[in-house]
Amino acid sequence: MFGYYARLALKSFGRNPGLSALMVLAIALGIAVCIMTLTVYHAMSGNPIWWKNDRLYTVTMDNWDPNSPYNADGKLPPPQMTYKDSHYLMSSSVPERKVVMYSSDGVISGAGLASPVRLSTRLTTADFFAMFEVPFLYGNGWSAADDNPPRPVIVLSREQNERLFGGVNSLGRTLRWNDHEFRVIGVLDDWFPRPRFYDLNGGSFGAPDGAYIPFAWGIELEQLGNENTACWKPEKLDTFQDFIASDCIWLQMWVELPTAASRERMQALLDNYWAEQRKSGRFPRPRDDRLTNVGQWLIDQKVLDNDNRMLVGLAFAFLVVCLINTVGLLLAKFLNNTPATGVRRALGASRRQIFLQHLVEVGALAALGALLGLVLAALGLASIHHLYAAAHLGERGGYQELMHFDPIGVVWAVALALLATLAAGLYPAWRVGRLPPALYLKSQ
Amino acid sequence: MNLNVRPILSALLRNRTGAMLVALQIAIALAVLVNALYIVMQRVEKIGRPTGIDVDNILVISSAGFTARFQPMPAIQEDLAYLRTLPGVIAADATNAVPLSGGGSSQSLLTAAGAHNPDTYGYFEVSEQGLNALGVHLIAGRNFRHDEIQPAITKNDASRFVSQIIVSRAMAQRLFPHRSALGQPLYDILGRPATIIGVVDPVMGSWPDIEHPDWVFFMPRLPFSFGGSLPYLVRTAPGQRATVMRLVEAHLAKSNPDRVINFVRPLNYFKDLSYLGDSAMEIYLLTVTALLIAVTCLGIFALATFNVSTRTKQIGTRRAVGARRRDIVRHFLVENALITSLGVVTGCALALATGYWLSLAYALPRLNLYYLVAGVLALWGIGQLAAWQPARRAASVPPSVATRTV
Repeated sequence: MFGYYARLALKSFGRNPGLSALMVLAIALGIAVCIMTLTVYHAMSGNPIWWKNDRLYTVTMDNWDPNSPYNADGKLPPPQMTYKDSHYLMSSSVPERKVVMYSSDGVISGAGLASPVRLSTRLTTADFFAMFEVPFLYGNGWSAADDNPPRPVIVLSREQNERLFGGVNSLGRTLRWNDHEFRVIGVLDDWFPRPRFYDLNGGSFGAPDGAYIPFAWGIELEQLGNENTACWKPEKLDTFQDFIASDCIWLQMWVELPTAASRERMQALLDNYWAEQRKSGRFPRPRDDRLTNVGQWLIDQKVLDNDNRMLVGLAFAFLVVCLINTVGLLLAKFLNNTPATGVRRALGASRRQIFLQHLVEVGALAALGALLGLVLAALGLASIHHLYAAAHLGERGGYQELMHFDPIGVVWAVALALLATLAAGLYPAWRVGRLPPALYLKSQ
Repeated sequence: MNLNVRPILSALLRNRTGAMLVALQIAIALAVLVNALYIVMQRVEKIGRPTGIDVDNILVISSAGFTARFQPMPAIQEDLAYLRTLPGVIAADATNAVPLSGGGSSQSLLTAAGAHNPDTYGYFEVSEQGLNALGVHLIAGRNFRHDEIQPAITKNDASRFVSQIIVSRAMAQRLFPHRSALGQPLYDILGRPATIIGVVDPVMGSWPDIEHPDWVFFMPRLPFSFGGSLPYLVRTAPGQRATVMRLVEAHLAKSNPDRVINFVRPLNYFKDLSYLGDSAMEIYLLTVTALLIAVTCLGIFALATFNVSTRTKQIGTRRAVGARRRDIVRHFLVENALITSLGVVTGCALALATGYWLSLAYALPRLNLYYLVAGVLALWGIGQLAAWQPARRAASVPPSVATRTV
């Protein structure tokens, strides 16, 4: 029966090729716009380390100005930590893993380079790699023992290892970082968490750093950060020692707390520390010291912007219009062909069979629409990617990282196209089955 | 003129579904069109705000010293001396941040020592060539003199302040709403004063996205490189920028082995990047809205065509009993106008509701009603255009059709 219905559908396409093409195009456009928008939305709202959502927490404490909160609405503590607070908390044994870090500019020379190159470098404590499950191509990160006093070891990203060493196993090679000698002990594999949840400064979709060295080098070499440093207190900041003793925030701190009990202990530690510091005149604002998991962190820091939410609304409005359009066109097409349907009914086809026959036709339209929609979406994403990448002069990082046609998107597209179009086709298919056959036979 | 609405209406009511579907499409299309265009216009306005900076003729060089031998002050002086002699260069200066780039420095300033003010003002450290290198215009007071330019802060006196500053007009109005800012003192957070010696307008600082991007001031001081690198701003005569960029790139890469040139880029790069989200939103909204209108048009066209083809016999009969071609055309256009009117009336409500919801959810300004009026007229016109060809086809049905049985 299905084969017969499919043949009828084909014949029907042939009868009004223009109208049929129009329907396929409308469905395809609706699907394509939805897929494009949802792909970006999906990438933006994703949690790149969801499986550790109940273990990873960022630490923030409100050390800000009593007269004006860090954020205008005053609902969140500042997103980064001071050196002295993070330094104290890093000495705790409550978290299973803990990391304090910031990003800074390094210039790499030596290593047989024709000219030195600048490399955004993360100064971090040892747990970074294990905590965020960073994959290694060669070697490993350093151990906690290498953090203090810091050993001259460096981990490179895969991309930078290719740039500096042509992609070979560079373990044990030396290079100069800001004119100090470092030894390569690890090379990362491809790693590009989107969004870059562990440090949202400088764009949520920025590229990860090209190199990693122990945090204490930053203090020893008096290396300032290259991202967000914010201060509020009237205090002298003449030297680097003044700076690290100040209430300026510039460090990201994360802890891994595997159990509810350890989370409670960590929160208690923060509260006690807050109370103690408060006595000595710090923390002038109401207590707001938090452990925030990755999912909540991405919401709090508004990684998903309003534009994107609006675009999802727009995409669905568009899809709805395309489907209404399809309903209208199907109705016109099916009702235009009522004499033939009347003959089939008079020869004994049941209403159900007429309904199914027309539904097969709708299904074929939906399949074609989905296929064309996929092609259009791929083209659309590629052109937006191109637009963004051109503005970034081809460098990685930024919104173009979101414009990837993912396999899940393809499954969505097909499912969405079929479901939506079949839903749209239900009414016309039902309606045509309800027509009394006699009327149409008579008019012949 | 008699439009004969009643028979058209009764014909429409007999075949409600198709007409209602088209009306619904028109309603949604109107709501989307009006709100999308309103958002696009806001973005166009935002991107088009005057920067006060000669963006098209400025190039940015990022230089980073990285060895212990590197002497920032002599290096800056040497580079600037070189840049300022190049043919086609109007002015060149070293500063602490790239304007419009989304990265920079800001600090608070107070009208009385020890007062409280939560505002922060973006600043640029410049020499006497700074304003000229940006193409910024003084509207009151004077520029910095060469002897007023302070040495850069060092790792031992990082919170040192200056004695004179030049402020933007927006900042002057914010701090001194009722009097002239010229000659007034402003205090840093530690209570040290600086005198306002000049006012510039317009000028946009480092962050185009903040609420007050034009709260900006200038300090007469060589810049200190916080992150290791420092930008030079070079303003060239119109049309000379590309040539200067090539020269500069080749020379600076080799002139000092203790530093690296990170990049040489036109200032437009940073401006475009800062507005990339807005311009992408514009393109996307316009494209989707245009497609939406096109699909709606096709819907109107298809429905009218269908109506014409199912009523061939009736049209022939009307023609046979005396209706003229233009009566037939008018019939279909009036029918379309009725459907479109239903659509735009529903659409107005939908557009207002959407606009209201957007203003609540995303803190957008409330929908401007002129957009709604324009949208209604546009869709009404589009509707008539889409129905025009089918109506003409209907008019060409010969009266003899009425006499045929099939």
